[in-house]
Amino acid sequence: MELNNIFVREFTRIRVVLVAMIAALLFLAVFLWQLQVVGARKYQGSVAKQSVRCVRLPGARGRILDRHGVSIADNRPSYCIAIYIEELRQPGRWDKTVDKIESVISNLSAVLGVEKTVTREDIKKHIRIRPYMPFLAWRDVDDTVLARWAESNVKFPGVDVYVEPLRVYPDGEVGAHVLGYVGKADIDQNEDETAYNFYLPEMDGKSGIELFANDVLAGVPGGRLICVDASGFKRRESKLLEYERGRKISERAPHPGRDVTLTIDLGIQRLVEKAITNATGAAVVIDPRNGDVLALASSPGFDPNRFNAGLSAREFRKISQGEGNPLFNRAISGIYPPGSVFKPVVIMASLASKKAGEGTRFDCPGYFQLGNTRFHCWCKEGHGVIGMRKAIEQSCNSYFCQLGLLTGEKGIQQMAADAGFGRRTGIDLKMESSGFVPDEAWKKRVYHDAWRKGDTCNLSIGQGALNITPVQVAVFAAAIANGGNIYRPRLIKTGTDEGDLIKKMQWSREDLSILRNGMYDVVQSDTGTGKRARIPDVEMAGKTGTAEYGVKGSGKKYAWMMVFAPFDKPRYAIVMVVEEAISGGVTIAPRIREVARRIFAIENSKRAVIDSRAALTPEGGQG
Amino acid sequence: MSKYLALTKRMNWLLTIATGLLLVIGVFFIYSACYSSEEARVRLLYMKQITWMLAGLGCYAWFAFYDYRKMSRFSWWAYGGIIVLLVFVLFAKPINNARSWLDLFGLKVQPSELAKLVTIILLARLLSQPSIKLWEIRTTFLILGIVALPIVLVILEPDPGTALIFMPVTFIMMFVAGVPLRYLMTLAGIAVVAVGMILSALFLPAKFGWSEEKQDKIMSMTMLKKHQRERIMNFFHPDKDPLKSGWNKIQSELAVGSGGMWGKGFKQGTQNILGFLPRAVAHTDFIYSVIAEEKGFAGSMSVLFLFGIIIAVGMQTAVMARDRMGRLLCVAVISMIFSHVFINLAMTVGLMPIIGVPLPLLSYGGSFMIVTMSALGIVQSVYIRCRPVESPI
Repeated sequence: MELNNIFVREFTRIRVVLVAMIAALLFLAVFLWQLQVVGARKYQGSVAKQSVRCVRLPGARGRILDRHGVSIADNRPSYCIAIYIEELRQPGRWDKTVDKIESVISNLSAVLGVEKTVTREDIKKHIRIRPYMPFLAWRDVDDTVLARWAESNVKFPGVDVYVEPLRVYPDGEVGAHVLGYVGKADIDQNEDETAYNFYLPEMDGKSGIELFANDVLAGVPGGRLICVDASGFKRRESKLLEYERGRKISERAPHPGRDVTLTIDLGIQRLVEKAITNATGAAVVIDPRNGDVLALASSPGFDPNRFNAGLSAREFRKISQGEGNPLFNRAISGIYPPGSVFKPVVIMASLASKKAGEGTRFDCPGYFQLGNTRFHCWCKEGHGVIGMRKAIEQSCNSYFCQLGLLTGEKGIQQMAADAGFGRRTGIDLKMESSGFVPDEAWKKRVYHDAWRKGDTCNLSIGQGALNITPVQVAVFAAAIANGGNIYRPRLIKTGTDEGDLIKKMQWSREDLSILRNGMYDVVQSDTGTGKRARIPDVEMAGKTGTAEYGVKGSGKKYAWMMVFAPFDKPRYAIVMVVEEAISGGVTIAPRIREVARRIFAIENSKRAVIDSRAALTPEGGQG
Repeated sequence: MSKYLALTKRMNWLLTIATGLLLVIGVFFIYSACYSSEEARVRLLYMKQITWMLAGLGCYAWFAFYDYRKMSRFSWWAYGGIIVLLVFVLFAKPINNARSWLDLFGLKVQPSELAKLVTIILLARLLSQPSIKLWEIRTTFLILGIVALPIVLVILEPDPGTALIFMPVTFIMMFVAGVPLRYLMTLAGIAVVAVGMILSALFLPAKFGWSEEKQDKIMSMTMLKKHQRERIMNFFHPDKDPLKSGWNKIQSELAVGSGGMWGKGFKQGTQNILGFLPRAVAHTDFIYSVIAEEKGFAGSMSVLFLFGIIIAVGMQTAVMARDRMGRLLCVAVISMIFSHVFINLAMTVGLMPIIGVPLPLLSYGGSFMIVTMSALGIVQSVYIRCRPVESPI
């Protein structure tokens, strides 16, 4: 090996290493010369001090659309006066810089003619958390301010207009509980990561779909580094132009968020909200064919437009602690005793147990006596001896107590669990409650007592510890309407029309038709408890419910009603609950009638439009 | 006492002076990098650095007077001890996402820094044994095994910068000791192939237009953490993401570049003062860009020149050393310092991807200061004992 011969002596090898090291250092020296002396002009400019400004390119948040593509959550640009902190940075402690920023803001306030809105604390907090981001001294300024700014911006180096996307909900309160709202993003305050915070979106979904689908909706902001010439502001002419061109160093493109299409039908949503607007309660409309949620409302509502990145904690408290707890979504989080709307569960349980049939008859003297306890029927005179169909129509408590005892609590509990009560429906929203179906283990745990017949009676008429959410009732009503398919209620529209089937109930056609006929009578019979919901043209079926709450005898009642329509081929399942009401038949039925009437009126007018279009273009297509 | 005086007289004063100057420069620029900080703790870091400097000088003196030939006795024990510490540190509480620090009685120690010194002492001892058979491939494997163990443990911390330093140092030591060139060439070839494979794993999937999941899967085969991959990719495409992982690089380049010939003056560097350079690293890994900005080309060249002196003196000492052990020790220490200087500077001026490698004598940090000063003390020790005795033979 020739090379080996050259390096035979250790001294030679050491010298070779030394020469290589010196050469490497010389290479660095040449590179430094290039960078610092030859290339100095590039970085330094002749006189002026240059600095780099990060301009943030916001990633727009995706829109939220209703099932027909109407935008119900959108963005609009809002112009902010932004202060680029690095460019105002004073040597020394940060306090000096904060002083400088404050004085700049005061001057700006005088020139622009707007009141100062930020405090010294805000500036300090901003520097602590997001020093790389511009500080927004004024948000969403109007055209006058922008015009004044355009006149005098030369005098304010380090200040610029910053466009920030602002979330808007064109329909205001409509669908507020479904949509939710956005707020300032929570920032990881780890100081090593401050540079990374730059790319975090400014707003995050805080509730509703905005929260649930936040990952889809949220855009990723990009950034652009530009060279700005700080003293170029003082010397106008070419320097200024150079600044305005903003010599771009590099850029990272923002990624806008994706749109989310809901199953909500904005028209129906409006009707439903109008129907409960003067009450405290909730309403849900589901398409029984696939579980699509067409409307979901909770009252009182709120205006999500009021929540924005700039909302202060005090204002937030004012809204959230407002009368009736408006931010609370009663349709999915509210738990209510169901009262008589639970009776269809008892019917199906008794029929499934084969212990009762359509011909099962019980006597109602106006109450049901069980030992020392008397369970009153709403009809004090009593219904007499009645059959199942009549019992459903009349919602007779005496009948259902006896039917429940005949069936046994196990069968009812099992049927309730199968129908989805006592667990979350899996709707595309967070904070869903599961409700509660009492059982023996619970009784033992809480009351240290065995399950008694009285508990079965309470369960059979939907009272006691039983708790359910309106959306669970809607899913159940849809299952009655569609022949026993428990669907997951969908809010976010997917590609298919097929629903997400959770469970197919083993209900026989005959059993189901007994229940459905009873529910038909509830609305369509002149003696039915829900007759006030009846509308011309379309036949509906339903069940009312009234549950007492609070101190016994205080007269506080939750009123329920569920309906599905049209009776033979149901396309809508509507559920409504109102707090502090009179009864399901009196309080809810007229509201449901209003909703149903308008839904079908809209449907008819749409059909009329389609028909007329077809009539107007007879030859067009084929011609 | 007179013995120490005699030894002091034999010291290489050029090495001591160059080292001392660099230490003083370090303290000044740590002050400049930190004085505008909000936190009092950071503002006073230069005081702590002075403490470290004094402790370092103590180590320097101690190792200079200590006869380096006696070190071979402890080298295996020290190596075993440091391996235990390196394993131990993996169970420590992570600081800045790395488990590099061991808390010894309130003193934060980085075993990975000590590992560098201990490993090169052991290697010098092994390679200088008269019985060593360098031409046997077994010897090469033994050496690689000894080095690989701490490297793997340090990578697990993770501290890739420190792990990286081991490689050139070992390579240079083997070269100087006389390991056959064909072995060394093979090693270099393997390194090139490994780097090539990592780079192609990072860049080719995107070129082929594979799905992101597949890209991610292939990239994760490189065993690099996501932010490390991003840094490497950013080095090749700094424009792609200037604000995230490219931020330090661009800011550092700007700081160095804007220094010009004479710099902006002490404490006047805007890139640093105005907080463009990330505050967390300005006084540690990026101290050189603070110097380059505030003192310009003149300042950065002076620092480079001082390091050049240390390297030249160290290598000259290696040539003059009395025995093979001393020779290899000098070569190892100097190549360690050189590797640190070169990688740190190359990273500062944008020639290399950013990996956390501090600049010897200048960067803030206790463990590394102690290690560097001890290492230079060993060089001094070799120098003191290499001079031919003045009396005729």
